[in-house]
Amino acid sequence: MPDTRRDFLRSLGAVTVGAATAAPVSAGSARAAPAAAAPSAALADAGPHRFAMVVDVGKCIGCQACTVSCIFENAVPEDSFRTIVSTYEVVEDGRAGMAMLPRLCNHCADAPCIPVCPVGATFQQPNGTVVVDADRCVGCAYCVQACPYDARFVNHLTQTADKCTFCAHRVTAGLLPACVESCVGGARVFGDLADPESAVSRLVAKGDAKVLKPELGTRPHVFYLGLDDRLAGKVEGQPTLWRPSAEQHT
Amino acid sequence: MSILEVVNVSRDVSWLPWAVQYFFLIGLSVACFVMSLGLAFDRGDRTFARRALVGALACGLVAPVALLADLHQPGRFWRFYATPNLHSWMAWGAFFIPAYVGGLLVYAWAVLRPDLAAAGAQSDHMLARLQRIVALGGRPVPRLATAAAVVTLIAAALILLYTGMETMVVRARPFWNTPFLPLQFAATAFTGAAGLVLLIGRLDGERNAAADTAAARWMAGALTITIALGLAWFALGALGLERTHAQALASVAGHRAWQVTALWAGAATVLPLLLVAWRPAGWTWLAALLGLHAAWMFRWTVFIGGQTVPKTGAGLYVYQLPLGHDGLLGIAGTLGLWLFCYLLITTVVPARPDRRSSLVSA
Repeated sequence: MPDTRRDFLRSLGAVTVGAATAAPVSAGSARAAPAAAAPSAALADAGPHRFAMVVDVGKCIGCQACTVSCIFENAVPEDSFRTIVSTYEVVEDGRAGMAMLPRLCNHCADAPCIPVCPVGATFQQPNGTVVVDADRCVGCAYCVQACPYDARFVNHLTQTADKCTFCAHRVTAGLLPACVESCVGGARVFGDLADPESAVSRLVAKGDAKVLKPELGTRPHVFYLGLDDRLAGKVEGQPTLWRPSAEQHT
Repeated sequence: MSILEVVNVSRDVSWLPWAVQYFFLIGLSVACFVMSLGLAFDRGDRTFARRALVGALACGLVAPVALLADLHQPGRFWRFYATPNLHSWMAWGAFFIPAYVGGLLVYAWAVLRPDLAAAGAQSDHMLARLQRIVALGGRPVPRLATAAAVVTLIAAALILLYTGMETMVVRARPFWNTPFLPLQFAATAFTGAAGLVLLIGRLDGERNAAADTAAARWMAGALTITIALGLAWFALGALGLERTHAQALASVAGHRAWQVTALWAGAATVLPLLLVAWRPAGWTWLAALLGLHAAWMFRWTVFIGGQTVPKTGAGLYVYQLPLGHDGLLGIAGTLGLWLFCYLLITTVVPARPDRRSSLVSA
């Protein structure tokens, strides 16, 4: 089963994937791509899945290809992000190095965003993916407050809560999430924890995978390999040099 | 070791100044209602209680509008009732608010009915006719007043409970995740309400030392409790006695803006306390405005300030008050609506009833 872009390339061939990734792929066109759907069909079937992602931070080069592909794939409005690679310069013992930390919704097993939603618009699918019913969402932003990972936001265009869905529309169509497919370093691995033979299961089973803010007991399902504990919670550091503008675009 | 955050996400404030206005106004309304209970139970200074009731009504009518405006999809408010998730404190609030406002209106009608009838009987002007219609005869209904007072008091307590719990349960924000917060909301609400009663007294134009003294006592008590709660919160964080409080304090303590805010908050509580304790000439205006300011500023700091603290990133998010409906215009609009409601209420409800309408003796 192809869980990373590399596996995907191996199974499909560079020409096919090149065509699929050269241009932004809309949800509609993704659903209509039978050739691309076939390799991940095991994830798309109705069987009992528990989707998860493993991020090997050592392989992340901070190129933000995942950030950009997610924006295009999911029509994320300007100044908002469903995923981003937090980038840090760490200086220790006189040596400076860069640390990357791809962030996204952790699709927690005990997601704090779900019980606070006053109208039940946020819920967990049987496959573990936490999603928002945008037609039901009242835009109260309570879930935005409750998420400990700053992974949610109010979409300025839809005026409803927005977040990573593990690209549910792509997975349903047998595709990998856009961020996984576009990851240059193969840092992101997506798959089914319910399948003990999947890549994510094997990586998590090694025992050295960590999660963000484990002390909160939210049981995140985005796991990190090689995560520095000092970046696992609220990072105590000097603030960022760059920020998107705070202007709202309507 | 040092960490420089080069790239990270910056999140917008998603609970807007409308939310500050809602928590401010509903807190004032509930506290004013409690101060007005002397009307139902025939205790305390009646002028003070009447002014408090006017404040409770004006704030209670405007607060839900501000809350509705804070929704990014206000037209979907009906979903709170169609598909409620009762695990959410906010969902419960959707039921508590109409219970409270409805109870408040019944209570106000029951205690003011004789005064309305008396005022309506003095002439045959349009206003008098309206007062007679609203009074529905004017016969005192002490049992209804008492029952409405008790029911509304329960609803008011639930409002204080849910507004505090709704914020307190957010573990993602250590600044909010403290059991002190519901108590602080309540204490500052009473501070602001006492200020509002003093302000209404000045707008009313009638000097009443007993009413002002009653308001001063409420404010002094509320400020004392506010200071005690603030010191206890700070001690838990500064001494590291409790992890969440220590995290909350650490997340803001190093920032100049928050240091200034702390000094500002200290002044906003100590100054009105000194004023109501010493009561120099002209103290009422200043104490009124400072009391209201203390209540509003506390909520602004908690909600807007609290949302500028990143959950994962370093430093603080930048917030600038927009001038449009999501910012200054919303605040001004809420104030304008409050003023309209205040004028409407004080036009219909006689400010100085000619007789002491006793509900108990009727």
